[in-house]
Amino acid sequence: MQGIYTSVTKIRRQVFAAVAKLAYEHDEYSSIEEIPYQIIPGEVATYRNSVFVERAIIGERLRLAMGLPLRRADEHSALSKGVEEAAVPKKFFSAPLVNVISFACNACPTNSYEVSNNCRGCLAHPCTSVCPVKAISIVNGKSHIDKEKCVRCGRCQQACPYDAIVHYDRPCAAACGMDAIGSDELGRAKIDQEKCVSCGQCIVNCPFGAIADKSEIFQIIQSIKQGDKVCAAIAPSFAGQLGPLATTEKLHEAFKILGFDDVVEVALGADKGAVAEAHHYAHAVPDKQPFLATSCCPSWSVLAKRTLPDLVECVSESDTPMIETAKVIKKRNPNTKVVFVGPCVAKKLEATRKLTAGYIDFVITFEELMGMFVAKGVEFGDLNEEQPLDDASSDGRGYAVAGGVADAIVNNVKAFYPDKEVLVDRAEGLKDCKKMLMLAKAGKRNGYLLEGMACPGGCIGGAGTLMPLNKAAAAVKQYQKSSPYNLAKDNPNIDE
Amino acid sequence: MKKLRIEVCSGSECVMMGSMDIIEAIEGLKQVKQQLKLRAQIEIVPCKCLGPCKNENLAPVVRINDELITQATGDIVMSKIIAAIKD
Repeated sequence: MQGIYTSVTKIRRQVFAAVAKLAYEHDEYSSIEEIPYQIIPGEVATYRNSVFVERAIIGERLRLAMGLPLRRADEHSALSKGVEEAAVPKKFFSAPLVNVISFACNACPTNSYEVSNNCRGCLAHPCTSVCPVKAISIVNGKSHIDKEKCVRCGRCQQACPYDAIVHYDRPCAAACGMDAIGSDELGRAKIDQEKCVSCGQCIVNCPFGAIADKSEIFQIIQSIKQGDKVCAAIAPSFAGQLGPLATTEKLHEAFKILGFDDVVEVALGADKGAVAEAHHYAHAVPDKQPFLATSCCPSWSVLAKRTLPDLVECVSESDTPMIETAKVIKKRNPNTKVVFVGPCVAKKLEATRKLTAGYIDFVITFEELMGMFVAKGVEFGDLNEEQPLDDASSDGRGYAVAGGVADAIVNNVKAFYPDKEVLVDRAEGLKDCKKMLMLAKAGKRNGYLLEGMACPGGCIGGAGTLMPLNKAAAAVKQYQKSSPYNLAKDNPNIDE
Repeated sequence: MKKLRIEVCSGSECVMMGSMDIIEAIEGLKQVKQQLKLRAQIEIVPCKCLGPCKNENLAPVVRINDELITQATGDIVMSKIIAAIKD
């Protein structure tokens, strides 16, 4: 479902734009109570069975978008409760980052196999023959699955010549590579926060729009209004995300209208990382450590450290491109606040860690940024192409797409150490990442460079993106080509 | 062969409200060309803000030849295109 524009996408974005507008245009925020009525007008339900439920859900989304916690469903509390306290020019939200709005959840059935009307009650009924636990029998001339016995192996589904056996799974749980989604006492999805790595895939895969993360739009705008110097560090996957009129040459001007001071490419930090990891790989693998796992995707790197507690040192220790870039910005101007703008929900969490918190002040996604542009009425069509981006190389910009991190490191290893051979394996989606890590644990990836990406397609498939994957991938290619430098090592800015 | 010029608004509001996904839907028609017996030349033009979204909730906006469609979605635009080609 990710990458297809639906009513769920629409509602999510309307909320971001509404919160940004509220923050930009007001100094007192009690009018938040009116927003659910603006987004869901009239008396007839559009999306769900009741207009009141629709508005209540918008209310919870608004709270999350302002960084506030969800309200309890069994306790009276105003929508605006805590809003004034949230109107601060600094990081405000507290864990959990990713939340299930319980009363929006459909309590979908969990993983199971069922026989549909397509069953013809055929003579062969191969479904019964392949079932390893005798869970399928023929009842009233049709296949029947005994749910008590079924072990959900899926063999019957593969064997059926009529595609009559259906696999049900909760889309949120199916999208979760960490098995972090369980159920509450009413059968609704509940996130095990111990397991969750905040990749955000459940958010964009829930067809009922019941899962949302907290946002920092509200606090960023407070910071801007207060007159702080704010600099955007923009991730390379931004290419194409803001529409075809939003060329890179217009970005500086567009961000200025929002109240930002400057824009720096995070691909610059990626260049630094690629060079550091190229040296690291060439020197240490396989003599000092069996393999090197990349670290730029925070969900992947947490997964890797959890899966391989004895091999933690094999996960690269170089700072992520986000942090490297923030360091450069803070060095240039220590009083600047850094806003990481990216496709990623997990970066919001990464930025709260003790080691990194001093560098990154806020994190927002492209979707949230688009809400700010809409709130401010920024039209890329009316802007001039004034200032091209020239912070980073083609290598660093390629980090946005799955495979790009490994490519960048390999290119630089080859440039520095022409005789060194690099073995590469990579995975996208946390489930496949886990499989790759198990192979590494078993010693089958010795000598390798391992690239892991939590989101299918890489960063361009992140939960906070706006464009379909193929469009985004093409735009990143274009953005790579437009760089003055091919290799990360040739980018003079990395010495800064 | 019929010619259709489809302007898809690429202003900020329309992009946020899914106008790029409408382009994706129109391009996707090529894959089902045979089933639909499509014989037309379709030109897709991402254009500057067409204006109407500035009043209330009218984004995204699409213009097919001279007809303006507000609150457009992929399915509405696809059916309009198919209707326009048939007659």
